[in-house]
Order: sequence, then structure tokens, then C-alpha cells
Amino acid sequence: MIKRIFTLALLAALGSTVSAQGLLGGHVTGNVQMDGQMSSADSIIGAQDVPEKLLMNARADVLYTNGDFSAGLRFELYQNPLLGFDAKYSGQGLANYFVAYNGEKLSITAGHFYEQFGSGMILRAYEDRYLGLDNALLGMNVQLRPVPGVTIKGVIGRQKIFWEYGEGLVRGIDGEVNLNSILGFMKESKFRTTLGAGFVSKYEDDEVIPSSANPEMRLNLPLNVGATSLRADLGYGNWSLQTEYVMKGQDPNAINGYVYHPGQALLLNLIYSQRGFSASVQAKRIDNMGFKSVRSQSGEMLYINYLPAITKNHTYAFLSMYPYATQVNGEQGLQADVMYKFKKGSFLGGETGLDLHLNGSVVYGLDTTVTGGAGTEGYSVNSGLGETLYGDVSVEIAKKLSKAVKYTVTYAYQVFNPVVENEPGDLHHNHIVVADVLWKVNKGHSLRFEAEWMGSDSHYDANDPAHSDRRAGDWIMGLVEWNIGTHWFLSASDQYAYNDGIGNYYNFTVGYTSGATRLQVGYGKQREGLLCIGGVCRLVPASNGLTFSLTTSF
Amino acid sequence: MKKIFIGLMGLMGRVLPLSIILGLWSCDKIEEGEYTVYDGAQVTWTTAAASLTPVQRVYVEKFTGPRCSNCPTADATLSTIHDERVVMVSINHPTGQGMPYPGQPDMRTDGGTVWDKWYGINSIPAAYINRDLSQQYLGDMSNIIGDINQALTVQPVIALEASAYGGLGEVDVVIEMQFVKDYTQPLTVTVALVEDSLVYCQLLPDNSIDSNYVHNHMLRKVATGFWGADVDASGTAGEALMGRVDFSVDSDVNLEKSHVVVFLSDKATRKVLNCVQCNIIFEVEEK
Repeated sequence: MIKRIFTLALLAALGSTVSAQGLLGGHVTGNVQMDGQMSSADSIIGAQDVPEKLLMNARADVLYTNGDFSAGLRFELYQNPLLGFDAKYSGQGLANYFVAYNGEKLSITAGHFYEQFGSGMILRAYEDRYLGLDNALLGMNVQLRPVPGVTIKGVIGRQKIFWEYGEGLVRGIDGEVNLNSILGFMKESKFRTTLGAGFVSKYEDDEVIPSSANPEMRLNLPLNVGATSLRADLGYGNWSLQTEYVMKGQDPNAINGYVYHPGQALLLNLIYSQRGFSASVQAKRIDNMGFKSVRSQSGEMLYINYLPAITKNHTYAFLSMYPYATQVNGEQGLQADVMYKFKKGSFLGGETGLDLHLNGSVVYGLDTTVTGGAGTEGYSVNSGLGETLYGDVSVEIAKKLSKAVKYTVTYAYQVFNPVVENEPGDLHHNHIVVADVLWKVNKGHSLRFEAEWMGSDSHYDANDPAHSDRRAGDWIMGLVEWNIGTHWFLSASDQYAYNDGIGNYYNFTVGYTSGATRLQVGYGKQREGLLCIGGVCRLVPASNGLTFSLTTSF
Repeated sequence: MKKIFIGLMGLMGRVLPLSIILGLWSCDKIEEGEYTVYDGAQVTWTTAAASLTPVQRVYVEKFTGPRCSNCPTADATLSTIHDERVVMVSINHPTGQGMPYPGQPDMRTDGGTVWDKWYGINSIPAAYINRDLSQQYLGDMSNIIGDINQALTVQPVIALEASAYGGLGEVDVVIEMQFVKDYTQPLTVTVALVEDSLVYCQLLPDNSIDSNYVHNHMLRKVATGFWGADVDASGTAGEALMGRVDFSVDSDVNLEKSHVVVFLSDKATRKVLNCVQCNIIFEVEEK
């Protein structure tokens, strides 16, 4: 009912004449995206037949702004959802609506909103259409900026889950102060200091969950679970240090096995940056920080918080074949990243210069001693390292051979533990080499060639559950991409498991772009695997057939 | 500027501690040792004189739901049983076809939900005899009658009888048990309240909805812990015990159309060894 009233009110406000601009002095913008998929069975790659023949995800966002006022809505359609998207998305309707006032010192949003406190470790309401993730809060969001440099946020609402809302009530308050803005003597200082603190609480009704140790007993559940964050963003000259510590009260839930061990996490990020050189070291330790608004909810939905990944988000196919999924129950890790530009005329830079990028990360589990199951403290944490979950080192060299030709060569070594995907099996050790050449043939025309190789000690065996991962084995890949003028592009690629693996994944794509509109049609085979963005993952099943995508904005 | 700064510091000085105070205040803290609770009624045991005549009864648990079109067929099958030695309990499935229609009574119970999850019920109707996991009965349950009759031929290990007294939203239950043979494994006793003649919507096999459907044996409350209360016995043949338990009943339960079900289970396997049901006797208040 509220949705209908809102829609009617918005349409009335827009008037009967819909055009891109000039409505009642306001401004209308929007975008539309349609993704379709047809797939047929392929027993080798594990693709299933699609009974509907055609699957489609589509969405249309409309935003109306008029001075400090804005209102928006989003229509979504999943008829039926693309492979890998939860079947609970099936349907269509108004998925998001809001009205907002955004003044100089006060902002208020009523309806759906996205928000983040600090790095998100106690609250991050966000949407990622490619992950099929939307945990928008439906409620109120108020932000106060009494003076420049001071922001106070308050939120209350319930989280979206598919077409419904979780039963848990989420409340939060966050304050952030930039000392350089409010302290006169620091305005010109090289020291940059921003301090912040936040608190998020969720309330959920009681329910009956039996104790595993003593089945005739039920859990005495905390109905209000809180998480507190303290953070600082410090800088001096070329240096900066971002740090956040969060703690969470007792939160027995389905992810942690209903144990009462409190949660905590620490994130540190030290950065040095100057022209032509940057280096950073990142450290993270998480202990039982899965924080959901519904305690019995497993999977990726209804997370109140977000735990940033500290492994590199690779883009090349084989480098991203084994992405790292953040382990919310416990992990600790380090990442180091160095970028250096060898100047033109230097020994390594030659005539055109050379870019060097080094990255390394390692993630371990926590060293824990299990003390019980549901209805107990659960475990204690020791000071050592747990099992190896993930590690990679990569070296990337990028160089221009001439104005028309540029190449990038990457070598990476990865160690991957299938346990991060809740799968059995041994550690995978992978060596990966990527060569990428871009040739600007003439104005408007370019060709890109990509060759990849991956050697792995893993192997595929359909009859052995511990080796049923279709990503296993040694692989080669080739890709050619041709950009024709400003409108067309064509690409062809093939990934082939030539040793100890299975599958031959070829793809052909043609695309056309005109202004803000882009149409793309592809045909080929998609490998089963995880799609991870920032440590949050979605299983993408194998598919075999046609895909198309249309995007436009106005 | 100085005033602004002092004001701001004052503001932040309040906001930041406030967030921490809110954190402490809005975060429930459960003390160690209180992570689990037994919220069932306590049973007090005393020794008694051996006087019971052993009768073996059969406990039938049926999972049902108002949106389950095949459930009336199962009801019809089970309604052909007129043997008083068969103790029937209908449990409303917690999700899907167990969801109540809008404006209709919600027959889901905490105890029923726990039992449903323990069995791993994913389609209804479904039934079990004496909590024997080796055989699940589905659909029209035409094969359940023979198995119930077979279970009734077993010689009882423990004799069990009960009587219940009600009034003012309270029920007192007296349990009598007597070991016929040695049984030294730990036992639990479960006391539940079951209501008959409940009228609310039910989906029928032809997909029409009968708003006057009569539901019987509906579980309304598990009075003891969901997995029962411990039986304080040595388990030697001839040993007799009397247990007493009293519990309150929500106002939406019609006690006059309810009866009490008591069953004894092996604590480890949860198999039911014997059971009994009794009507509630209403005590006349003295003026």
C-alpha cells in the first residue's frame, strides 16, 4: 500500500508529461539494464538445461531531483532469474523507492537507502547487481553536519531480502570529526586527522533453538546484539594510516554455529604515496564478525556489515579463477602492494618508461580451540596462525613499445584452500602467466591480444568429491578483441583445460555502442565458478548458449 | 571560533560516549552458565506402589498444515483408527504449507517447530510411529494402519498412565509409571497439550478452501522441555514412580476441548517406549 501511495505521489509530482528534464523545475535521470540468457545442457562443463529457454534480469532506475529534494524508484524484473541468481528473486515489481532532502546541514532519506559506517565492518547497506546482492535498509536515514568537518548519522530500518524484509530491526548511530576542519591550529597542518565512532544494534524476537550439548535445553538468546566501531584516519605528508577496530556482543547465529563467543576485528592500512611510487601494507584480523539482522539466515543475504577483503581483486581470467571469499568466522592476513614507474631514459625504463606493480597477500585462519557447540562459548582463540586459506604474489610489468603498442606481462603464484568455498580437497598451487598487448591500429581502431597460462597441481576427477572442482588442472587461454571505430567491437576467446582438467570454454561477443546505449550479444560456454567482489561471492553455474545485454541511461 | 570549537567538542564529547553507552545498553549480555535455559515445567518424582496393569500404546506424530492439499486425505486415513491405545498428535509444519491463511489461527508451536526440524520434514503430510526414524509415512498414509497395529502387539517395557486436572488456565498432571522389565537406559517424559475440534481454513485436494474444516489432535503446547524431562529412576523391573507436573495454558486454548498426552522416550535415541492420553478433569471451585 505504501509503495502504491509513493508511486502515485511521485507520478503526480512528475506531472503527466514525462521528459528527461524540466519537470516542475526539477530534473529526471535514469538508466535501464536488461540481461538475458539462453543455455542448454552440456555434461562436460556441467551446464544444465534451462526449462524456460530464456532467462532475464532487468531493472530501470528513475531519479527525480529538484533542488534539495530528490525521489527515486527502481523497477526490477527477474523472469526468471539468470543462472546463479537466487530463485527467490523470481518476479517483478518495485524494488526500491525513496524520498530525500539533502540540505547543507541536514539530510533525511525516507524509504530505501544505502549507508556505510567507516569501512563497513559494523554497517554497510549496499547493492551489487552482479552479485545479486541488495541489503538496502527500508526506514529512515538522518545525517547532521552542524559545522564543516563534523558528520553525525542515524539510521533505523529493516533489511531487504529478495522481495521481502528481514524480521530484524537495525538501528545505528555514527559520528565522524575531521580535526583539520574544526581546529584552527590544524587547518594548515601537515597532520591530517579524522576520528570516528559508531554503534549498530539489531533487535530480533526470541525463537527456539535447541542446545547441541543439552538438547532438552534451549538457547537463552540475546535479543539485542550490538557492534561498536572506533576508527582513525591519520595522515602526514605522503603517509597515511587508516585503522578501525570493531567489537560485537554475543551473537549466536547460524553462521557461527550459535556460539556465544563475542566478535572483534581490526583493520590497518598504511600507505605511502608520491609521484611515480606508492606502497601500502594492509593487515586484518577477524574473529566471529558475521553480523546479520536475522540470526537463522545463512548465505550472503541480510548481512548488516561488510568485511573488506585484503587480497588483490584480479581482473584477468586465470588470476581471478580462484577468488578469495572473506571468512567471517575468523581469518587474519596481510597484503603488501608496491607500484613504481621507471622514468623514461632510465636503465629499466628505456625510451618510453616502465610501470612495475608488485602485490602479495596471505590469509590464514585463526588458531582456535573448540570448547563446545551451540549454546556454549564455542571456542577460544590462540595467538598462533590457523590453516593457510589463501596466498598470492604477483608481478606486473607494463610498457609502451611505441605510441601504438603497449604490453602488460604478469606472473602470479597462488595458493588456494578449497575450504574457503566450503569444499573438500587439498591446497591448490597455481602458477599463472598473462601477456596482454594493445595495438592502436589507427584512430578509432584497436586490437587487443591476451594470452594466459595456468599450471596447477590440482586435478579433476568426476568420481572423487575431493577433486570435483572443474577449475582444476592446467589451462591455456587466448583472446582477441577488435574495437571498430567508436561503435562496434568484436571479441573471441577460448579457455582450454589441456592437462588434468576438463572443459573447453569458447566465447564470441559482438557489441554496439551509441551514445549512452550499449548492446552486447555473446555466444559460448561459461565456466562454473565463484564471482567475488570485495570478498563477497556468488556461485556462477556453468552455462552454454546465448547471452545478451542492453544498457542505456537518460 | 573558540565558542564553536568548545560547542563542538561538547557535542562530540556527548555523542561519542553516548554511542558507547547506547552500545552497552542496547546489547544484551548473557552470563556464562546461562547460555541455555530449560523453560519447560519441572516434574517432581516420588516412589509409588506397583499397581498398574501394563498396556502398550502407540504414539503417532503427524505433520500437517492448512495450505497442504493432501493433508485432509491423511486425516481421513488416520480417522479410521478408533483404538484408544493409539495416541495421535498433529503438528503444524512451521513454514510453506504450514503457514496460516490471513486472519486464521496460527497453530505453529515452538515445540512442534523443534520436532519438525529434528525430523527434517520437507514435505507434508508426514508421520512417524513412536519416533522411529526408519519409517516415514507420506501422502494418503495407507500403509500406516498396518504398522500401527503391528506396534500395538509389542509387549510393554514400562506401564504408563496419567490423569490431568484443570482450571483457571492451569493444568496439573499426575504421571504413574512402572517398569515391567529392566530398562536401565536414561529416560525422559514429555507432557504435551493437544486440542480437538478446532475449526479453521484448510486447503482440500481439489484446491478449494474449506473454512469449516475440523482439526483434531492439534499440538498446542509442550509443557515439559521439548525433549522431555529426565525420569529419576533406576529402571529395574517392578520399580514404580509417580511424577507431578503443572503448567499454565494460553488463553486461546480451549481446555474443555483439550487433552493431555504423556510419552516416555529413550533419552539417547528419542524412540517412544510407551504413551498415554487423558482428558482433563475440571475441579469444582469451593465457595
